Amino acid sequence: MSGAPASRTTSRTAYAIAALVLLALLAAPRVGISNNAIRLLLTTFLWVTTSLAWNLLGGVTGQVSFGFAVFYGLGAYTAGLSINGGVNPYAAIAAGGAVAAFGSLLIGIPTFRLRGPYFAIASIGVNEAVRIVMSNLEITGGASGLRLLQTGLFSQAEHYYAALGSAALAFLVSWRVMRSPFGLALRAIREDQDAAADVGVHPYRCKLAVHALAACLTGIAGGVFVYYSAYIHPDGVFAFATSTSILLMPVIGGLGTLAGPIVGAAVYSIVQEEMVVNFPQFHLLLYGALLILIMLFEPGGLAGLWRRLARGLRGRNAGGPGEGIAARQQPAGGGS
Amino acid sequence: MGLNDLLNLFVAAILLAGIYTAMSIGMTVIYGVMKMVNLAHAGFMMLGAYFALEVSQRLPIDPLVASVLAVPVFFLLGIATHRSMVRFVPVSDEPTLPSLLLLFGLWLVLQNVGYSVWGADDRSIFSALTMATFQFEGIVVPVIRLVVFGIAVLSLVALHLSLHHTWFGRSVRALTQNREAGQLAGIDTGRTAMLTFGLGIAFTGLAGALLANLYSFTPDFGGSFMLRSFVITVLGGLESFSGVAIGAVIVALIETFSILVVPASYQHAISFILLVVVLLVLPGGIEGLLQRWRRLR
Repeated sequence: MSGAPASRTTSRTAYAIAALVLLALLAAPRVGISNNAIRLLLTTFLWVTTSLAWNLLGGVTGQVSFGFAVFYGLGAYTAGLSINGGVNPYAAIAAGGAVAAFGSLLIGIPTFRLRGPYFAIASIGVNEAVRIVMSNLEITGGASGLRLLQTGLFSQAEHYYAALGSAALAFLVSWRVMRSPFGLALRAIREDQDAAADVGVHPYRCKLAVHALAACLTGIAGGVFVYYSAYIHPDGVFAFATSTSILLMPVIGGLGTLAGPIVGAAVYSIVQEEMVVNFPQFHLLLYGALLILIMLFEPGGLAGLWRRLARGLRGRNAGGPGEGIAARQQPAGGGS
Repeated sequence: MGLNDLLNLFVAAILLAGIYTAMSIGMTVIYGVMKMVNLAHAGFMMLGAYFALEVSQRLPIDPLVASVLAVPVFFLLGIATHRSMVRFVPVSDEPTLPSLLLLFGLWLVLQNVGYSVWGADDRSIFSALTMATFQFEGIVVPVIRLVVFGIAVLSLVALHLSLHHTWFGRSVRALTQNREAGQLAGIDTGRTAMLTFGLGIAFTGLAGALLANLYSFTPDFGGSFMLRSFVITVLGGLESFSGVAIGAVIVALIETFSILVVPASYQHAISFILLVVVLLVLPGGIEGLLQRWRRLR
């Protein structure tokens, strides 16, 4: 399997590093890190979740969606309304994921049957339609938003662990999918849908399934977000800018890889924090320019850049075959 | 609601359909030849609107003439965009991920450059014709809409002639029908793609400038029109030039008559809901429907 580490030692190192990072993150709220840093980590975890989710559909399967805010918002609103209705918060978050997955089928069933740009186009339309409908709907509070009824004490650590949990879930799901025959089928669809169908892959079913999986993870992130922020409104969670951010992160990090979307989400969270403080007007301009530059010069994102640097450092003799399928992310390369 | 009111709405819808066709045709030619969805469509429409505003304010030129001037300017802008960016992304029979993301990034850049240059205020173009109307048998037609309709139709006639009577037009139609066969027949795909992109952007800029004569605009202008263009192109069957006109008439009719039944707050959602409905029940567009019908006979 191409995603597997080359040797047992690297695999062991990877596990050790992952365990250490996880321990450090688990301990973070207990060792006196500032509340602000905890908050930044919390947002990063939520973005890691959505970034990994988008990557499953966009990076691994090659289906571009401009409408992931729909699932983020559906998850947030479902969880918010359920919590206000007296449901256990974690059950409410899970319900958010389920509703988002269901919503994904409504977009996927008509569009994945068709060849061509229909899915990408429909995702933009659905995003706008859902935002407008939610702004006018009575039960969700319309454009003025939805406020969570607070019952217990606010505990930042609890929200922190919930966000960490959602990121860990997204990581485990991505890791399992990318190493499974299902993941191989998804990659085959990305490379050549007809060839994939010839060897027994069912592109329509696979796309629906991975879309639902990604939507579910995104919905969970939305649920955790509403539980933490206690207030959401349609122009926030359903905003087109949210969809843009969600797709930008895995693109920055490196599509189709496991580490790329995580790094992308971390970079995005930190940059966003700085940008909003210093240049509130220009962050979308920067993101647009970044998308153009990445697509023109390094479609593999930071992961691709890293592979290129590593190859350069190791010199020619270690060039060898590309590392896994992700090295060939863009079928026709960027230079034609 | 008398017959006269219905007739008025009908005329308004047809006048709207003219400009909608000009707006969507740019997207269709680019998709046909390059198999790329021009997600920067909205950005170029917005630039077209501000182009008409700036030219008519700074120079002693009528805004409608300024709109026509947008054609050569945006043709060159399209060619520059193709030379500097678009030609570097891979093409295939379906839109590739890099092409979608590149043009999407370009849209974000254009929109936010617009915000930093012109600010977020609503702008509009006033000319001598803006308030003038014209009456015929109880039907009231704003003159400006009639002129805009005329310019749009003339541009479409010019496009039709160039597609059917020049070598460039033949290569465009050939590549739209079958890219590989076109290449085998010796068509210079790079050059055709460049000129097509220029042509598509020229129509987009013209449509933006013309629409600026009818509606007020901000740098966010174009977003909702881009989605309408999607609906129209999908209705038209994605690659069919005549299908676009039919799609535009349908969308304009639905939009105009929906005022009677749909609450105002949902007006903006109509084209998006229409898009989803079309994808559900009529994925091949009008063209696909006609083909199926022909096969049944």
